[in-house]
Amino acid sequence: MSVKAFELVPAVERELLMGDKARINIECIECCGKHLYVGTNDCFIHHFLLEEHTTPKGKLAFSAEKLLHKYLGLKKPVNELKAASALDRLMVLCDNTVTVVDMVNLEAVASGGARIKGVLSFCVNENPVNGDPFCVEMAVIAAKRRTVQIYMVYEDRVQMVKEVSTPEQPCAICLDGYFLCLALSTQYMILNYNTGASQDLFPYDSEEKKPIVKRIGREEFLLAAPGGLGMFATADGISQRAPVNWSESVIGAAVCFPYVVALDEGFITVHSMLDQQLKQTLSFRDGHILQDFEGKVVLASTKAVYVLVPLPLERQIQDLLAGRRVEEALTLAEGAQRNIPKDKFQIMYRRILQQAGFIQFGQLQFLEAKEHFRKGQLDVRELISLYPLLLPSSSSFTRCHPPLHEFADLNHLAQGDQEKVQRCKLFLISYLREARSTEGANGCREDVDTALLKLYAEANHESLLDLLASDNACLLADSAPWLEKHRKYFALGLLYRYNGQDDTALQLWARVVDGELQDSTRSDLFEYVVDFLSFCSNLDLVWKYAEWALQKDQKVGVQIFTRRAVTEDQTGQMSPDAIIKYLHPYQEATLLYLEHQVLDRKVQKEKFHTHLAVLYLEKVLSLLSQSPVPDREVTEAREQLQNLLKESSLYRVQLLLGKLENTELLLERATLHGKLEEHDKALNILVHQLKDFPAAEHYCLWASASQEPSYRQRLFHLLLGVYLDPEAAIAPGDEHAHTVAAVDLLNRHAGAFDALSVLTLLPEAWSLELLRPFLSGALRSAMHARRTSQVALGLARAENLLLKHDRLKYRGGPVLVSEKKGCQLCHNTFTEPDCVCLPGGVPVHTHCAAQRARNSPRKQPSTTPSNHT
Amino acid sequence: MKVKSNIDIAASPLRVSKRRVPRAMSDSGKMKKPDVKLVLLGDMNVGKTSLLHRYMERKFKETVSTVGGAFFLKQWGPYNISIWDTAGREQFHGLGSMYCRNAAAIILTYDVTNWQSLAELEERFLSLTDTANEDCIFAIVGNKADLTDPKALEAEEMEAEEEGAEQPPSHPASPTVLKQVKREDAIALYGRVLRYKAQDERACLPAERMCFETSAKTGYNVDLLFETLFDMVLPTILKKRSENSSPTVDLEECRGAKQTKAGCCS
Ligand SMILES: Nc1nc2c(ncn2[C@@H]2O[C@H](COP(=O)(O)OP(=O)(O)OP(=O)(O)O)[C@@H](O)[C@H]2O)c(=O)[nH]1
Ligand SMILES: [Mg+2]
Repeated sequence: MSVKAFELVPAVERELLMGDKARINIECIECCGKHLYVGTNDCFIHHFLLEEHTTPKGKLAFSAEKLLHKYLGLKKPVNELKAASALDRLMVLCDNTVTVVDMVNLEAVASGGARIKGVLSFCVNENPVNGDPFCVEMAVIAAKRRTVQIYMVYEDRVQMVKEVSTPEQPCAICLDGYFLCLALSTQYMILNYNTGASQDLFPYDSEEKKPIVKRIGREEFLLAAPGGLGMFATADGISQRAPVNWSESVIGAAVCFPYVVALDEGFITVHSMLDQQLKQTLSFRDGHILQDFEGKVVLASTKAVYVLVPLPLERQIQDLLAGRRVEEALTLAEGAQRNIPKDKFQIMYRRILQQAGFIQFGQLQFLEAKEHFRKGQLDVRELISLYPLLLPSSSSFTRCHPPLHEFADLNHLAQGDQEKVQRCKLFLISYLREARSTEGANGCREDVDTALLKLYAEANHESLLDLLASDNACLLADSAPWLEKHRKYFALGLLYRYNGQDDTALQLWARVVDGELQDSTRSDLFEYVVDFLSFCSNLDLVWKYAEWALQKDQKVGVQIFTRRAVTEDQTGQMSPDAIIKYLHPYQEATLLYLEHQVLDRKVQKEKFHTHLAVLYLEKVLSLLSQSPVPDREVTEAREQLQNLLKESSLYRVQLLLGKLENTELLLERATLHGKLEEHDKALNILVHQLKDFPAAEHYCLWASASQEPSYRQRLFHLLLGVYLDPEAAIAPGDEHAHTVAAVDLLNRHAGAFDALSVLTLLPEAWSLELLRPFLSGALRSAMHARRTSQVALGLARAENLLLKHDRLKYRGGPVLVSEKKGCQLCHNTFTEPDCVCLPGGVPVHTHCAAQRARNSPRKQPSTTPSNHT
Repeated sequence: MKVKSNIDIAASPLRVSKRRVPRAMSDSGKMKKPDVKLVLLGDMNVGKTSLLHRYMERKFKETVSTVGGAFFLKQWGPYNISIWDTAGREQFHGLGSMYCRNAAAIILTYDVTNWQSLAELEERFLSLTDTANEDCIFAIVGNKADLTDPKALEAEEMEAEEEGAEQPPSHPASPTVLKQVKREDAIALYGRVLRYKAQDERACLPAERMCFETSAKTGYNVDLLFETLFDMVLPTILKKRSENSSPTVDLEECRGAKQTKAGCCS
């Protein structure tokens, strides 16, 4: 409970009304604008002017000025008063008679027509059906006849327009449009006086307890129901709102949106129509009347009049919020929506939502808080400003005034509970992320992004890098110290980069790589920097850090150059020549760079190839000079060298040969000789010095790879010659080995040799069996060659014969060419005797025939069917 | 301690997916215009309020005997359904007719452990439904099934597990109270209700579908009850809408629908 929705303010004190006359009581009241009329049991009407003013303490107060009092002269109480301000008339019920009197002088209107007799009670239609503004509609309960009469009240007369009978005697009445809401002796009912249709509402014993019927809005009534209920009913006889729970002894009730106010013997109760809950109770002794007049709730005890002044809605809502009753506050605000101009409501409602959000935030109800912040369009900075140091010092933000919440900052809110602080921070992270992705951060992106950066850095959040790598508005000046504090140097570098300060970024990263600064964000930071440099367009920076990178690690450092996109410009700073020159002190890097040029990019440049070959060679030699010799590495290095020597044909062979002069790299030398086509030298080295017969055989294949078959034959013969050379100084054991090699060679490559000349070379002593594979192979291939050429010969003869046949056929008769005869192809006449005869003896121009032959896809003209068999 | 009952799980009631209903109770404050009305009738103490609580707030909590009546607004697809919880106390009996006026469905509630509560439905409450719609749908609901039916008890265990065991079952797992009202009794009553309403039994929804046994305490059959009825009253809503549809275009209503279509000028 305990919303302070209303305040009871005295309006007319006892002294002003009856002084100390104990027997005189208030019977009825009417309030119309500032005019207050009071009817008493001694047949007086008092007329007051009620002025509203504010006391020095800021409270609302009323001062009543008595204008007039009038004795009606009947010694009966004045039962009911009702003003018709448009007519300047006051309707008075006294002694079962309604009289119409002047509002100002309270004198009865002259003619006797303005009077209705036999009236128990009456009411005025606040939703009139007749359009005349100078006419008031009134419903009257006839005292004894179980009827209700409808009257039109004019300035100086009344006129009955309708009379309807009711099933029981009515005792209370209300009118809206054509709908009469009646309390009968045992039930309530709705009666349409126009159509006569009626609708029972519910039973009620009017004898036992005074009924209440109260129009509360268009076609809706409030009724006292059994069990002390306030029931709502529409003109259709339906309840649209849940009932409110009054006490059993309720005397009067009224609606002052969104509250239902009721009066019983000792109290005024205030229920909300929105949730049916009791919201406020005010003690009020001797209560007698409670009525609302144009939204103003007026009460009377038997001796004095009071006004129930609603507190401003905002005050009520603020009170609820102060009590952390968020739901109720919001319900109240939403309920008031239609009573407040739209833009004013929006502003108020938004603020309430924001406040509600902060209350829930304080209770760590983040989901609800977020929803309310969102709906209330909270300036995100209000939330950020709760977290110390998150807003950039340059931010122009100041918290809204009056404040939206009671928290000084997060520490105040969490009261030292670190877990709470952490949860709040996680909430802010998710909130700011959402704000960034929606309109929420409009106008304060710098503040939002900077705050998010700080939160991420502090929480070691992985999204820090994503934030910095994407489009962001983080303020450098504010973020840099924060990132330094949290040792997020890599991130700081990214921030510098984003702000165009690549040099600072690199400097920072280099310090991390060098171990001067600690930041474990990236274990591959060095590679990252190198990669960055390989893309960097600022060449000064590249040169500046290339040296550092190469000194750190040549293999990785050289990637600055090898990964760099190839530019057209081959002469500038980044031309390969310039780079090679620059890389000179770094042998490994140079080698890698040359490999990149020669092997990957396949640059056809003698200089590079030679340089690379020399470097390879030097590497091999330096490896060989080590002791012990690292076998595996030597093998690898030599393979590289050999591959290059074999594959490339651009390097300077003589130069390399010179360098190989006094080395044991025989295989390489053989290859170089091969490049110079000095095959005998090469084979001599391979066979005699290296004694590597498979290598020799390989050599032959390699050296003749892209040559005519005869070239290969020549090489094989050469090799065979070397094997069989009796003059070569052969060590005693070698002779046999050479013989075996020679036989193997012959047997393996039988077809590649000229068998006849081989046979003359072979020593007599060799057995036929030994050379069987060779001989049969040679024989077979010789046979094969012979037969192939025989077939070719036969085919050529046949073709020749066909051609001859055609020729004879075409020469059959004379070919006539005259100036009148046209060429079949171009249809022009012949001017010269030269002509070509097409098959069938058709003469055509020489040039036309040539043209046709060129255009024809078939080169072979003789496809005409032959009659030869 | 949880005691597994010996009933086969496969025989347990259809599970209805759970929906969270934030601020369900205060929805009524917004005064959306309800499209259709559902009314719960029945003697005091049978558990009408508890059933509604269970459905709307998904929990079982202490109640006080209802004063007058209360209502809830339930968003069902695009429709607003108002559900009235009435007071069973004799004192408020007279209000019943008004609550039932124009109702599309009425849930007659009794307590399975109390024979009298079923009898009261016929003696006292049936006449209140005179004001309901001509084609009003009736459901007969025996609540507190958890007290008599192990199947209804089990619903709680599953619910509790799912919700992180909020409320451990506080009473013995085997039902102890005698079941006074059998399902056949309810089915027979349903037939008499239809006869009272002079509705053709064959044309109406079959008793098997309209008689429920529920437990507000465990949630057994509660979603099934309300959602079956919601689906059944949809035709009433559509009928009402088409009757009320006027040639005037309601801009507020149309806005949502229009946006999804491509504009004619696009
Ligand atoms: N075991 C059990 N008890 C229930 C169940 N439903 C309700 N109750 C209990 O029955 C009592 C009455 O429940 P209510 O929901 O207030 O009954 P009601 O029908 O609304 O009563 P009125 O408002 O007076 O008409 C309460 O003590 C509930 O805890 C149920 O399913 N099982
Ligand atoms: Mg209840």
